[in-house]
Amino acid sequence: MNSDRIAISLDLINRHNQEPNRNRFESKYFWEELYPLLRASGFRSIEIPYEPVWQFGGRSGVPMNRYSIQTKYESAAKYRAMLAERGIDTVTGVTFDPNLFMRNANLDFFFGASGHFAGEALSHAADLGADYFAISPSPYYGRAAHYHPDLEAKRASFTERATELLRGLADKAAAAGVTLVLRNEYWSLFRGEQILPLIDALPDGVKLDVDTASLTIAGIAPAAFISAQQGRIGCVHLTDTDFVDAGETWKSPNPEFPAHRATQVFRDPGTGSVDLPAIVGLLDRLGYQGPIICSARQTRDPFRALLRTRAFLNQLPN
Amino acid sequence: MPNIRYANMSHWKTIPYRAIDNFRDFYYEDKTNTAYYSDWDTILKYQSALGFDGIEIAPWDLADILPLFGSPENFSAFAKDRGVEVIGMFHGAHASHAADHYDEAIRSGREAVDTIVKFGGSYMNTCPTQNYCGAGPLSREEVQQCAKVMNEIGQYATDHGVKIGLHNEFFCAINLPNHRELIESTDPRYVHYCLDTAQIAILGEDILTFYEDYHDRISTFHLKDTASANQPDSVRYSRDPEITDDGTRWFWEPGLGELDLQGLYRLLKKHEFKGWMSIEYDGSPDMLASMALTRYHLDKELRPIYD
Repeated sequence: MNSDRIAISLDLINRHNQEPNRNRFESKYFWEELYPLLRASGFRSIEIPYEPVWQFGGRSGVPMNRYSIQTKYESAAKYRAMLAERGIDTVTGVTFDPNLFMRNANLDFFFGASGHFAGEALSHAADLGADYFAISPSPYYGRAAHYHPDLEAKRASFTERATELLRGLADKAAAAGVTLVLRNEYWSLFRGEQILPLIDALPDGVKLDVDTASLTIAGIAPAAFISAQQGRIGCVHLTDTDFVDAGETWKSPNPEFPAHRATQVFRDPGTGSVDLPAIVGLLDRLGYQGPIICSARQTRDPFRALLRTRAFLNQLPN
Repeated sequence: MPNIRYANMSHWKTIPYRAIDNFRDFYYEDKTNTAYYSDWDTILKYQSALGFDGIEIAPWDLADILPLFGSPENFSAFAKDRGVEVIGMFHGAHASHAADHYDEAIRSGREAVDTIVKFGGSYMNTCPTQNYCGAGPLSREEVQQCAKVMNEIGQYATDHGVKIGLHNEFFCAINLPNHRELIESTDPRYVHYCLDTAQIAILGEDILTFYEDYHDRISTFHLKDTASANQPDSVRYSRDPEITDDGTRWFWEPGLGELDLQGLYRLLKKHEFKGWMSIEYDGSPDMLASMALTRYHLDKELRPIYD
């Protein structure tokens, strides 16, 4: 596989959790310095995690939503031009998760806010010329269960409302020429193969996101999943992990931070135990031509992660 | 008992763990300092060790803190076990100047007071409305509407053992032309003032004159320094000026800016201020280093004047 076509997700920059020097990630200068470094690491395309939170409180230096881009660059077109000047040719995709809106016992609020901002994010993806818009159809299971202790009793109605929301987005995506893709993180109500009945209820154009670490943690072999679902894969995230969820961490309110044994769930690509070379080889053999993204989510050092990721990709047969 | 007790306004970004039991293993995973900034147990120990006995919660942290600890009461008990008490929570009274937002502003303010009571806190430092850009300039009627909301929330807070303190940011719609008008339009029985030294200096107030004028309204402080006093309208009224594009910092640790904090402490002594002083480190690249530098400055420069 030609690794030049593989994108890097901007989720390698820690936007939310405490660490020294994290404050610089909120200023425009940081990101404009970053893009050439991504290119220097061999990446020509990026994925953007859409985050409405930067729209609130004036922290628009983080380029993760439409408001921020309009504030700093006036338009998506001017942002893309700035990226191009710095060696980033394309925004491959935009991701969205609704965790921010699971903050009370009001599901009308959750679905209303999630639907509104997912719609914004999808439009932003179209403006950026992205191939796909990848949405997490549920918040963290454990966070939802905190505010809705009867979550299992509500599962059917929750699924119905999620399906309705996704159908609306699917229509909008089709009209915008963007592929709607469903994520199935290990912490989701629709984790692992539970995503399948959900996607079955949606139009054919809706595709699956293959996240190799999330599938592994959920107990699903990524290679088997890819082989079984090869006709409806919308994008592939090459994520790595060493984490074994022996204590149902996926059901906790903060599932990326296992409460009883602190660990870095997502490892820098190539440093965990997921057989990523075999997965890339399988994608090649299957003739998969869709987007592939490396994600160093939760990295302790984004610049080391960039080089680690490139070092890993350099080892793959070209 | 000293006249002044010290707290931190929490500007830690999301702290994902309550406590890390496998600290050494976690460190060895990638041999970085992540383990030192990832759990409340450690963060609160830093505070306690450096003599900051109180913490002011940020409302944007609630969505993480509450599921992590289960309830405000659990968080407060956890902090208390480590020598830190929750003194209150910040609150943004969004759109309180807008008459058609009155019910929502009151509901939201009361809800915040209720949350503070659950944490066992006593202070609700309140930004009276949102950014100037997009809302300003406010009419006289809008300033009065804002005062009406503050009085209403303040009365509810007082009834529940909480003091609300107006807290102005340098970029808010309540700004230099109407800052004092708002204070004087509120009821001193119910509405107090949190003096954020850097914010009002950037706004264009002289902090010593301001404290002299309003010392009887001051409920608490956000103490921080600045090297950027008296910013022009073009900066204060611009879109999203708090986080600068080039990384310029508005706020510095006490002693690293240009404010006359010794002069302020002499006035605290003159007016016999008693209460909590929160330190704020917004914009700091390293909260722990800022906390330690602040403690040094307090002990060597400010507490000898008035303690």
